[in-house]
Amino acid sequence: MFIFSKMTQIPVKINNKNPRLASYILSQYGGPDGELGASLRYLSQRFAQTDKSGIALLTDIGTEELGHLEMIGSIITQLTKGEGAKSFDRYGVGDYYIDHANGVYPASASGVPFSAAYLQSKADPIADIMEDMAAEQKARATYDNILRMCDDPDVTSIIRYLREREVVHFQRFGELLDRLQSKIR
Amino acid sequence: MENNRQLTAQQLMRKVSEAWFYVTDLNLYLDTHPDDTRALRMFAEACENAKACTEAFEKRCYPLTVCSADCDSDWEWLVGVWPSQKMA
Ligand SMILES: [Fe+2]
Repeated sequence: MFIFSKMTQIPVKINNKNPRLASYILSQYGGPDGELGASLRYLSQRFAQTDKSGIALLTDIGTEELGHLEMIGSIITQLTKGEGAKSFDRYGVGDYYIDHANGVYPASASGVPFSAAYLQSKADPIADIMEDMAAEQKARATYDNILRMCDDPDVTSIIRYLREREVVHFQRFGELLDRLQSKIR
Repeated sequence: MENNRQLTAQQLMRKVSEAWFYVTDLNLYLDTHPDDTRALRMFAEACENAKACTEAFEKRCYPLTVCSADCDSDWEWLVGVWPSQKMA
């Protein structure tokens, strides 16, 4: 089960407003390599894992990703808090305003709504873990792209942190893969 | 924990989140290294510290999980900074 705690892995405190940057970061909320897809992928795949380490790791990383989803939502909210239609338009994201105003909607930076087609669940531990390792690399690469676009130090420090977590997750999934493969041998 | 009295809510929150982050990081490591005795010792210590930091924060500021909410006179759970808000 999950118990909500009124805290994030690192505090999210953004002082500037920037609806355009928010619309880029939205991709890590509901985009193809975002945190929603990551958490759903791991929390779904775990049901078919048989190795105890595998069940635990997918549960624990899936849970951490849910926390990251919340942090991304918080960044987007703070970057757009109090900004109106004209501001969104000036920042070039008037189309987002028309559909969602200041709401956080799970979609990619290019406006495609979230889809479960971004992930798989094959009941094949090796196939699933290999997908997970690729997913971590793609999430890391997306954070790299966001860092190239971002010049707000409050945002950059959190994005760097989240990027680093993807590297750690990749490492842990790699260790799990070794463990599963050595059991087959 | 004596020096906690001088810390602001924001500083106390930073200590809480750092402490729980350390727990999470060790947790993932132990999932794939369940026999690492040094990491097991570090984990026990990390959990003790995280609980202490949480208690210090909740005593001074507001409840982080629902069962820490005081319900003597009103619903204290509503108090505090939610993920949609930023700390003052
Ligand atoms: Fe991740």
